[in-house]
Amino acid sequence: MVNRNVVKVLSFRYMILAAIFILLAAGLVLLPKYQKHEGIVPEKLLSNAINPQRYISTDKLADVLINQDPSYLLIDVRSEDDFTKYSIPNSVNIPLAKLLDDDNKSYINQDQYNVVFISDDNFYADQAWMFGNRLGYKNLKVLKGGVNEWYSTIINPPVPTEEMPANDFELYNTRKAASMYFGVAYPDQVAKPVKVEPKKAAPTQVVPVKKKKKLPVEGGC
Amino acid sequence: MGPLIPNDIIPYEWNNVIAIIIGIAFGFILESSGFSSSRKLAGVFYGYDFAVLKVFFTAALTAIIGLLYMDYLGYLDISKLYIHPTYLWGAIIGGAIMGVGFVAGGFCPGTSLCAVAIGKIDAMIYVLGIMIGVFIFSEAYTLFEPIYNGYFEGNITLMDSLGVSPYWFVFILTVAAVVIFALSDQIRKRVKKVFY
Repeated sequence: MVNRNVVKVLSFRYMILAAIFILLAAGLVLLPKYQKHEGIVPEKLLSNAINPQRYISTDKLADVLINQDPSYLLIDVRSEDDFTKYSIPNSVNIPLAKLLDDDNKSYINQDQYNVVFISDDNFYADQAWMFGNRLGYKNLKVLKGGVNEWYSTIINPPVPTEEMPANDFELYNTRKAASMYFGVAYPDQVAKPVKVEPKKAAPTQVVPVKKKKKLPVEGGC
Repeated sequence: MGPLIPNDIIPYEWNNVIAIIIGIAFGFILESSGFSSSRKLAGVFYGYDFAVLKVFFTAALTAIIGLLYMDYLGYLDISKLYIHPTYLWGAIIGGAIMGVGFVAGGFCPGTSLCAVAIGKIDAMIYVLGIMIGVFIFSEAYTLFEPIYNGYFEGNITLMDSLGVSPYWFVFILTVAAVVIFALSDQIRKRVKKVFY
């Protein structure tokens, strides 16, 4: 025999279900709201941050520039003054303070280019990278060592001393060639104007050509 | 964590396999709850059976309440879910045509296939009608194209366009649903019973 109490409760089953339904929906309204963080989760950000792949070396950058690789976008996050004094060729100046302006966001929030952040050293570029990465933007990189490293490796590469291995000499030669591409002149590479000595006129032997003397008209014919 | 496939927790290739499994389960439950009967389905228009209204309204609300809870608890990123794009007049006209077909034929497209699966002849005719409709639409596509692709509103939701908090929206909708269910029960009691 079915328990009468159960039957009694079950006769209200639709009411009970409706009440549960409304309670669940009301729960959503009553839940304490919290600000959800936008962008990637902290663990992912950390694993991105400690990944050395986010750096690009100056040698690689020089290679990119010389080969005119169109997939790289160089963003200089230094101030405008510093940018006008010296900047890496083909870089775009977006000062760090203006990085997240609406006009500038389209430069970093995209997945077409590899974006390389550049500052004097890594410091501001790293900050820019952190902001962008936190917001989930893709393909962001930092120039390792920044403009200083660029200057001391590519523009003014250290000359290897004699006891250094051959690789260093090769590297030096590559960098030297790169720096020449970027407009550095080396005394030993400058083509010296070759003195063209005026050709000495070869002593000419004068061969007197004896002119035929006109023969006196002879009678005849 | 979720959604599982966009976050690569389940490989993308499983997409269709999972869709088929869910589809089979959906069809089975539709059939076993009597939704392959055109009389039951049409009942919602004549007032003797509101099962369709109750089932689909409850399903939608259960889904959105569950999604919002999972989003709140961090199991699911609700912003990553697919939102069907709105083509305003296409949806209105298409909805009206489908409504007429629903009253006249007693099936909606999904349930008609369910009924075909258990061998109902009226459903087979109905599916044939759908095919003819699809054929006419494809042949006269250039004629319908401005409506089909026009009036595009983007991937909008009611909550976005009304500018209300989703939680309040769902709560009000739930209360409204329960009220509508109670009202529909009142109507059903007054309408002459139909046995089917």
